[in-house]
Amino acid sequence: MDDTIIQADKVLDCTGMLCPVPVIKTAKAIKEIEVGQVLKMIATDPGAPPDMAAWVKNTKHEMLDSHQESDKYIFFFRRTK
Amino acid sequence: MSWGNDEYDDFENKVLYVQTHGRDTPARSATPFFLAAAAAAMDNEVAIYFTMNGPQLLAKGAPEEIIVPKAGGGGKELRFFIDQALSIGVRLLVCQPSLDLHGYTMDDMIEGVEMIGGAAFNFMAIEADAVISF
Repeated sequence: MDDTIIQADKVLDCTGMLCPVPVIKTAKAIKEIEVGQVLKMIATDPGAPPDMAAWVKNTKHEMLDSHQESDKYIFFFRRTK
Repeated sequence: MSWGNDEYDDFENKVLYVQTHGRDTPARSATPFFLAAAAAAMDNEVAIYFTMNGPQLLAKGAPEEIIVPKAGGGGKELRFFIDQALSIGVRLLVCQPSLDLHGYTMDDMIEGVEMIGGAAFNFMAIEADAVISF
């Protein structure tokens, strides 16, 4: 899916960062946007897709989309609380 | 002293880590800190309880002296992993007997360490959704 369809209010680039740094940075970044707003996160850690799936399951934030673009994993999260 | 840190709200679960390893095994020193940090990033209430040799990791000076090894040589100071955990609200707990074991008092501990007792530890374990021991 074309990521221009989802408008992000904030972008977090975790390129080159390894577990658990993308999870920790995402947790901090989502607190810097308002409830209902969207965070785009970019990661290259191959552990990021299962980690972020677990993160939304536990935190109850919403994952609007996740997809891969070459070596990058792109996620869109909506802050729910 | 128990669960219930008012500073952070909306916790989903409680996770208690137990670290028994100390200075002799640097390769075993960092994992509880970064797993705890990941758990806290998932909106859980998280603490690490340091017992047996665990308090050695929290003695003043130790976080800078302990180098967490990585393949190919070199490594990162344990301080990095401790700060990462503290920055996201992980609580670091010790108990008196394990301080006594090493001749420590609370004055020997780095900033951010809290004292609990054996009863409080057991109560936290009973109340926790997961207890993970190293």
